[in-house]
Amino acid sequence: MNNIIIGQYIPGTSYLYKLDPRSKILSLVLLMVATFVLDTMTGMLIFLGAMVILLLSGKISITRVLNGLKPIFVLLMFTFTFQALFVTTGTLYIDEILHFNYYTITASLLVFLTWFFSKKYIKYSILYFLLMIVSIILVLIYLPQGTDFASTPLQIYQGGVEGALFIMMRLIIIVTLSTILTLTTKPTDLTLGLEKLLKPLKIIKISSEEIALIISIALRYIPTLLDEANKIMLAQASRGVDFKEGKLKDKIVQIVSLLVPMFIISFKRSDELANAMEARNFVPGQRRTRLHVLLWHKLDSYTVLLSSLVFVFVIVITVIR
Amino acid sequence: MAIKFKRVNYIYQGMDGTPFRALKDINLTIEEKGEFITLIGETGSGKSTLVQHMNALIKPTSGQVEIYGIKIEETKKKSSKIKLNPLRQKIGLVFQFPDYQLFEETVERDIMFGPMNFGISKEEAKKRAKEVIQLVGLETGYLERSPFNLSGGEKKRVSIAGILAMEPDILVLDEPTSGLDPKGRDELLELFLSIHNKLNNTVLIITHDMNTVYQYASRVLVMNDGNLVFDGKPIDLFASPKLSSWNLDKPDLIDLCDKLSERLNITFENYPKDLEKVVARIKAGYHE
Ligand SMILES: Nc1ncnc2c1ncn2[C@@H]1O[C@H](COP(=O)(O)OP(=O)(O)OP(=O)(O)O)[C@@H](O)[C@H]1O
Ligand SMILES: [Mg+2]
Repeated sequence: MNNIIIGQYIPGTSYLYKLDPRSKILSLVLLMVATFVLDTMTGMLIFLGAMVILLLSGKISITRVLNGLKPIFVLLMFTFTFQALFVTTGTLYIDEILHFNYYTITASLLVFLTWFFSKKYIKYSILYFLLMIVSIILVLIYLPQGTDFASTPLQIYQGGVEGALFIMMRLIIIVTLSTILTLTTKPTDLTLGLEKLLKPLKIIKISSEEIALIISIALRYIPTLLDEANKIMLAQASRGVDFKEGKLKDKIVQIVSLLVPMFIISFKRSDELANAMEARNFVPGQRRTRLHVLLWHKLDSYTVLLSSLVFVFVIVITVIR
Repeated sequence: MAIKFKRVNYIYQGMDGTPFRALKDINLTIEEKGEFITLIGETGSGKSTLVQHMNALIKPTSGQVEIYGIKIEETKKKSSKIKLNPLRQKIGLVFQFPDYQLFEETVERDIMFGPMNFGISKEEAKKRAKEVIQLVGLETGYLERSPFNLSGGEKKRVSIAGILAMEPDILVLDEPTSGLDPKGRDELLELFLSIHNKLNNTVLIITHDMNTVYQYASRVLVMNDGNLVFDGKPIDLFASPKLSSWNLDKPDLIDLCDKLSERLNITFENYPKDLEKVVARIKAGYHE
């Protein structure tokens, strides 16, 4: 649970922290749309480079952001594999045959087992996993052949590889952008910025204050709930619930024994919170002053201006092509 | 010796990644038989963290906890093959907040949950539920009620009953008497004492009440800022000059005796354990 860093603020002092949340949110939206629209490889590479510069100049540790990418790693692998295997445009890069016979299958199994038993000693688990996959593919292609009892062609085209790289880069850029926003902006500032930006929705009778309130309460309680879940699991474990093991039937009981107390505690908490807010005369949507007032600086104007320029530029280029 | 702590450290990883040292170099031995222990210390000193090590709910960050000969330590290998469940049956731990464990539709089923997880038959578990609900001072009518409509004190009793039904060798209770009225508190403490007396099993109670320590405990442990700063007899603890520096105070009786000897010059050879003896001593002093 600890490596989900989307939505986690880490204190710092660089210029990214000094920016107003409104300008950060606006720029994020503009740049995200631009990333979606962008359809040239050079453009993507430039964006990726800009992203690295942004991280370096903003003194954000790149390993942190990479860690943030971990949860979507599986998704990345999937899109990459599917794109690479099933797109058949452009020149043929790789044209080999995967042989399945006793030699290759035994060898692959050996590779797999080596990986399986040594993986806990290796630090870069993802790279190690990739190495395992690549070695198995190499084994299937090149090992001295007996009689195959099955074989499939492995054909990879230029279009497939490019498409796969393209989608990967797009995903990486988008996740990095949102990670930068959430790493450098306190959740409270984020919701305040959102509240201000959504003000115009009043015309269609949607109160941005209430939305912001709901979001900030939800954000406030996520860590609390995680903590609570942890404590409940311990309490049930001491009554003999083994959350790591058990058949399907046991699993259901385990989950019920976790969820029921979670719900009860959450309802109780929300009740208490509502009472506490009412006791302090809180009325949603009422005008009130703020302890922290958002300040718009010159830097914010420049940031939004720059993002808008990038946005317009990308749109124009794409339309012209 | 049933539980042994060897240089145990425990570090909580906070949500924002900042580490917090909750236990510092704890050395401690607890016997299976014959001890009635109280664990005290100010809020946040690490009491709950300490007892959660005793049935291997959490593993020490460094150091080692040995429970019935099974060594529990932080291992890099994830697939440690130690079966922890038998330990948890032997060492019953009642949590501080009953809300964390009640989840079944009826009180009876909630009490049966623990024993049945340890392979006790349904009939036997039902029988035990009926016994323990009376032990903790509730009528058998409560068995049919939903655990969520109970008062705080009643929930507490049900959660204790749920652990008692597991028939553990060592009973560990995290603040079992908080939120109870004085009569209920005394009844429960007497219950723990009678369990202790009947089977001579070790009982460990976390408490903030110095009178409990003085009246019941044969041994007292004091936590302060993650350190185990005292391990010995209650009477020695209350004579210690460091008492107030650990944010503790004296039990009412000792306080009274001290005031008597200070103001009225009525001295005591050794501190009495009940009020009657004090009264008798005052009477004797009055006649002198
Ligand atoms: N899940 C957790 N994550 C981070 N820190 C924690 C966690 N649980 C406890 N702590 C910290 O560890 C310290 C010891 O906590 P513990 O619950 O053991 O205290 P305690 O002595 O039982 O207090 P109390 O008398 O209030 O029950 C506290 O300072 C607490 O803030
Ligand atoms: Mg506690």
